[in-house]
Amino acid sequence: MKADVGQMGAAGPAAGAVMLEVKDVSLSFGGVKAIRGVSFDIKRGEIRAIIGPNGAGKTSMLNVINGFYHPQAGTITYKGAQREKMRPYIAASQGIARTFQNVALFKGMSTLDNIMTGRTLKMHKGLGWQMLRYGPAMAEEVRHREVVEKIIDFLEIEAIRKTPVGKLPYGLQKRVELGRALAMEPELLLLDEPMAGMNLEEKQDMSRFIIDINRQMGTTMALIEHDMGVVMDLSDRVVVLDYGQKIADGTPAVVQADQKVIDAYLGVAH
Amino acid sequence: MFYREAGQFKTTYRDDMAVFPILQDRIGLLVIISLAIFAIPLLGSKFFISSVMIPFLVFTLAAMGLNILTGYTGLISLGTGAFMGVGAFACYKLTTYFPNVNIIVWILASGLFSAAVGVMFGIPSLRVKGFYLAVATLAAQFFLQWCFVRIPWLFNYNVSGAIEVPERTLLGLAITGPRATPEVRYLVLLGIVALMTWVASNILHGRIGRKWMAVRDMDIAAELMGIKMLPTKLLSFAVSSYYCGVAGACMMFLWYGGGEANDVFDINASFNVLFMVIIGGLGSLIGSFFGAAFISSLPTTLKFGLPAMGIPITGATAEHMTFIVTGSLIIFFLIVEPHGLARLWQIAKEKLRLWPFPY
Repeated sequence: MKADVGQMGAAGPAAGAVMLEVKDVSLSFGGVKAIRGVSFDIKRGEIRAIIGPNGAGKTSMLNVINGFYHPQAGTITYKGAQREKMRPYIAASQGIARTFQNVALFKGMSTLDNIMTGRTLKMHKGLGWQMLRYGPAMAEEVRHREVVEKIIDFLEIEAIRKTPVGKLPYGLQKRVELGRALAMEPELLLLDEPMAGMNLEEKQDMSRFIIDINRQMGTTMALIEHDMGVVMDLSDRVVVLDYGQKIADGTPAVVQADQKVIDAYLGVAH
Repeated sequence: MFYREAGQFKTTYRDDMAVFPILQDRIGLLVIISLAIFAIPLLGSKFFISSVMIPFLVFTLAAMGLNILTGYTGLISLGTGAFMGVGAFACYKLTTYFPNVNIIVWILASGLFSAAVGVMFGIPSLRVKGFYLAVATLAAQFFLQWCFVRIPWLFNYNVSGAIEVPERTLLGLAITGPRATPEVRYLVLLGIVALMTWVASNILHGRIGRKWMAVRDMDIAAELMGIKMLPTKLLSFAVSSYYCGVAGACMMFLWYGGGEANDVFDINASFNVLFMVIIGGLGSLIGSFFGAAFISSLPTTLKFGLPAMGIPITGATAEHMTFIVTGSLIIFFLIVEPHGLARLWQIAKEKLRLWPFPY
């Protein structure tokens, strides 16, 4: 396996220009310092893993990139422009998509409608046409349905197209959520524990999808994951957080051998 | 056995996205529409039409409006009665100033005024949700009701303080006022309800409907899909209040034929419509029909139906019986199916697809 990893990293479309740069970002909630002066970058086309023990600030980091949280200090540069105060919908319109640790699907809607919602930003026909559901509005709907069907094909979820997502098993819900994020045709895809709670086969499927998305669509990804095997196999570079601080950054092989990382995960004798 | 979709293949996405993709559904809809247009006016008595069908249709409109807001967008409102009142007064003022324009145009236009008022009172929805929003919309209810009584300009300085519905005609046929027959009023109302149901279904099946449902189900994820909260919620308030406003105008002009708005558009009306939406089914258009039929027509049916069937009860007893029976039926349905009558309907259709086989 280890030999494979090396090849994958080298063969992947990694090592483009820097797409997103996080510099000295600090975030605190009252007295709790969730992130303390973390800096790292994500290069175009790579799979960047963010790992660390529970409470290390990984999800907070994604929320900062997304615009849910506003860091008290530090700057974020995305596609060459330093960001001002960020809102989630602005991040979305700039091509950042996201899946959630606890599935955040629209429970009352079908798989198809969930993924169609991902196309919202690309659909523009106004209320007048929507009221008639005819002409341009319908043409737009059909056009986006075609794109959505391609995603459904890609994720192999044809059979559950019209099922309300609330009724789906957990593994499939995760897959639908990935589909919804893909429907936005993101440039940067943030995956928050895409394999949490999955069995081996589901993990293999999900890993395959992630690699395919990265290779075929050239999507840059930031990945939070606790399954070290998956992280080491999939990612090009890994950043390790612990108690809100960065303790290591580099290729999987480098990070794996880092003494601080081993200490953070296994604990140190005092 | 008869309700099968086997063999009905869809070859285009357009067919697959139709509102009624199954042939039998389309036939059923046609039958219901033709019954409503022909059978009810021809066979129904004047009393049945004016006390059962007209209230049913008026409340269906209001319930549809509230369902768009509460069922589809997840925002609770207790201002429905007041928004209906705004529609009624707007229609009254419009037809007073421009008596030559057809009243149907003004009924449909009066909704725009309540939409504007609805948007104003919907602004807090960005910050507060659930019960807190319900309380915020209570402000609309009380404030607007105060306006209905204290601003005499609204009711043209009438001594009675009530809306006095003038006679308005279409092609020489009276559709409002004392000379309008129940049949004509019913057919006008039916046309409005059919048109607005069609429009609501179109909106809800498209981009905007999906946005509303996304906000209802998971607002954080919705914002991440690029859905802006404030415009989406305000649009929902606008469309919802538009429907309520038209319902209010229809109520005054096609059902009551005038009356004191303070009594009609009070908090009870708001609660009534909310109950219709909950019992009919949140997030279901057909549920609005079921809910309105259940809450608005059932009391009348019980009150006058039982004596008519030969069960000898006096008016007062019937009144009390109505409360008891309606109350227990509400409890019964909520226990059997907490998701409303619309879900029961859906389950029945599922069962019917397989019948007479169990699987």
